[in-house]
Amino acid sequence: MTVTEPLTVRPPQYVGARVLRVEDNKYLMGRGRYLDDLALPGMLQAAFVRSPHAHARIASIDISAAKALKGVVEVLTGAELAKMGTPLVADLQREEVLPVGKELLATDKVRHVGEAVAIVIAESRYLAEDGAQLVSVEYEPLPALVDPEQALSHGAVLLHDDVPGNNVAHIEFDSGGVEEAFAKADRVFTKRFHAGRQHAAPLETRGVMADYNPGTGHLTIWSSTQLPHFLRTLIAPHLQMSERHLTVIAPDVGGGFGLKCHVFVEEAIIPLVAKRLRRPVKWVEDRVENLAASGHAKEIVMDIDIAVTNDGRFLAFRGRYIGDCGAYSGYPWTALIDPLAAANLLPSLYDVREMSFQVDAVLTNKCQTTAYRGPGMAPGHLARETLIDDIAHELGMDPVELRIKNCIGPEPYVTVNNMRFDGGSYVESIRKAQELVDYDRFREAQAAARAEGRYLGIGFSPFVEAGTWGSEGAKALGFPAEFYDTASVTVEPDGTVTVTTGTFNHGQGHHTSLAQLAADRLGVRIENVRVVDGDTSKAVWGAGTYASRSAVVAGGSILYAATEVRNKLLALAGSLLEASPDDIELYDGQASIKGVPEKSLPIAQLAGVGYFGGALRPEGQEPTLSATRYYDPPQTYSNGVVVAIVEVDAETGRVDLQRVVAVEDCGTMLNPLIVEGQVHGAVAQGIGAALYESLEYDESGQLLSGTLMDFLYPSSTEVPTIEVSHIVTPSPVTEGGMKGMAEGGTIAAPAAVINAIADALTPFGAVIRHAPVRPADVLALIEAGRA
Amino acid sequence: MSTVSENLQPVVEDEITIEVTINGSPRSGRAEPRLLLADFLRQQLGLTGTHLGCEHGVCGACTVLIDGEPVRSCLMFAIQARGADITTVEGLDDDGELHPVQQAFHAKHGLQCGFCTPGMVLTCKALLDHNPTPSEPEIRDFLSGNICRCTGYVGIVESVKEAAAAGRGVSPAAPASTTTER
Repeated sequence: MTVTEPLTVRPPQYVGARVLRVEDNKYLMGRGRYLDDLALPGMLQAAFVRSPHAHARIASIDISAAKALKGVVEVLTGAELAKMGTPLVADLQREEVLPVGKELLATDKVRHVGEAVAIVIAESRYLAEDGAQLVSVEYEPLPALVDPEQALSHGAVLLHDDVPGNNVAHIEFDSGGVEEAFAKADRVFTKRFHAGRQHAAPLETRGVMADYNPGTGHLTIWSSTQLPHFLRTLIAPHLQMSERHLTVIAPDVGGGFGLKCHVFVEEAIIPLVAKRLRRPVKWVEDRVENLAASGHAKEIVMDIDIAVTNDGRFLAFRGRYIGDCGAYSGYPWTALIDPLAAANLLPSLYDVREMSFQVDAVLTNKCQTTAYRGPGMAPGHLARETLIDDIAHELGMDPVELRIKNCIGPEPYVTVNNMRFDGGSYVESIRKAQELVDYDRFREAQAAARAEGRYLGIGFSPFVEAGTWGSEGAKALGFPAEFYDTASVTVEPDGTVTVTTGTFNHGQGHHTSLAQLAADRLGVRIENVRVVDGDTSKAVWGAGTYASRSAVVAGGSILYAATEVRNKLLALAGSLLEASPDDIELYDGQASIKGVPEKSLPIAQLAGVGYFGGALRPEGQEPTLSATRYYDPPQTYSNGVVVAIVEVDAETGRVDLQRVVAVEDCGTMLNPLIVEGQVHGAVAQGIGAALYESLEYDESGQLLSGTLMDFLYPSSTEVPTIEVSHIVTPSPVTEGGMKGMAEGGTIAAPAAVINAIADALTPFGAVIRHAPVRPADVLALIEAGRA
Repeated sequence: MSTVSENLQPVVEDEITIEVTINGSPRSGRAEPRLLLADFLRQQLGLTGTHLGCEHGVCGACTVLIDGEPVRSCLMFAIQARGADITTVEGLDDDGELHPVQQAFHAKHGLQCGFCTPGMVLTCKALLDHNPTPSEPEIRDFLSGNICRCTGYVGIVESVKEAAAAGRGVSPAAPASTTTER
């Protein structure tokens, strides 16, 4: 066992070291600049008028009182916005998928509580909200659909006239022999699982500011987004502007977790209004808007069937996924982001050669659904992994041994639906987790506790994380499109290094981890490397940061570009030191001849020659030291395990989460400190999904969880210390061996916690069929078991 | 048929001058009576390190210290703070030299996106000012009104332990971490 302290001195190489984050100080000193911290001369502020109804026709809107209010500059309704810009239409390049449009502001119908129908722009936010209160909207309520199966049923009212059956897509997969496998199985186990409606709920809500300069025709958009370049490309047509006249800047962003990897109507409306009024306009989402009208996530009704032999071998998986996708198809990833990702990851790490699934992405009168850490994968995992525990119980097998019996080997493996796993510590990580929790001793303690009337439980949740989202990885999850990323690496004339990337750091520590990669490749100290991102006029184009992709795609493109620049440095050094470039090494800011350290030159001096050395440069070498490269990785998957130990209080239903152990294998780690931080945060969000967080609607489509008093984040008293161990199985297919990570904890922790609760409640025969599991649910399980 | 809040009239009231001590210096600004303290700090005084995560008193991002006590500046009007001695995150460092609590958050990876961080470090400072040797349950209890969505609180709790230890001149044990390389 090695205990490694954070780094305080220059290591032999930065990659793999616990380098403290270089970006911390500004945040610690309150000098971060988030969207709402920005202001421009003459800036106006906006507030939206939002629907109190789940489903209604808009009969009339009276804006006269609002417009008359002192300080209100403009009030615009959907009809006016429709003349200014075009709807956002989410579509996927698959024949099963129907496009679904969302008007910038609703014109004839509202389809969920919180949908915006008008915007008020005023001299301050306070005045804008005063104005919004004075907008009078007459609604004619329509029947609300809050149950996706009802929405799918024949004769249900349609949310969108051009989406028959309220179904954005029906997608099927069948390996061919599934029914035969089920027919010949000794046992067939079936479970319906209803995963709760969640929210990424970053602590900073969304927000947009825009400024149009009529003198240049240039529009600048600041947005709290995860994908500034992609936003520019996607929003330009809706503004009827060319990308050359658009700059998108993501300032410091206070968390995204997938919510902000979308493009929202507000990101079109605010720029359009700023352009029209010729004044800067800012809108910052409040928390109620955030919970009601940004993006929900992960609510899926799932039916999972597993065909099993008597000795516990899985023969086939069958899944039905009905996504409760809300009123619109989230732009651009569509309403399939949850149900299709859930279905495609059905095999997980099990060696199952027959599988079928059906996916429906159903529109309901709720807020649209968008990506949230482990989209689809997390609820899908819950359904499968809780069923596997049920099966173990029914067969009288140990749930860990049942999993290992069916687990794939460590070598690369192609799943039945053609996911290409690049090898991992699938069994080894489970065994390691068993050791860490001292599994056998726990079972003894559990038995002893039970004899005293105390209910301890343990849940294992091994996972494969389909992150990274290069083009192939995205396609394997069902989302065909190109997802590379780009980086530029420049050694400046003084030998310092500027890296620009199309990914975007919003808490993941990229300004450190990506600098580590560049520093190693160029042989410079990390304090001489600066990573620039988040501004389309300063960084190269890229698709942004989401789906755990940045270490792999930004990392790979930086390695490519830095290698090109490195080769130029080597050629310069070889020429100046009269040696072959092959004999030069670059380390700690010096270029030296290998084995002859006294023959060396500072890299800063090489840089000077690279820019201003004229004939000192080798023949044919162009001046400057810069390269831009892109990288589109093959499929790569990290893996690991989360184990939870709980004690359930049978009197109150309280679940005491006593211990959480995570084993993570994400290949080459750029920075274990950052990897662990990502595991901690991901697991904590998974604990929220298991026990606390749920957006609830009543039968009329009214949102009941519109504040943080109702939508419950776990706090420091609900999340225990999370113990993290690493196994490193470098990817054989990615540049640098990295595998995308940061979602595994959110994918796996809910099932670990819920399996632990079910395990604790074994004396009551508890089978858990929904999440979150709250004290009342626990008491109901106990009561049912006693009956 | 329904209309939204058709009877509500906007609040229009006169601004008044608010004088406070912020981070040891006298400051003043204009505020209408309904202006929240958080908005006064951010907009009138330009101290944008105080963040707003919910504006209904749950998340704790807007925490400032008033006469040394952690207070949610989104649940208080500026006018209620007249004459108060307020510490915001901008007042913690000493001309760029991090306060020991800030230094501990850096050393123990107690922050990711940084949005909860100002409220979190001020709350931790208040805890350690009151109780220089808190137990882990005491730390977790005191921090439970400050939400962090990124870290799972692991790094934060370690940071507080680190800051407490630094105050006593000792170094706490590092959390265990094991790595199996291939």
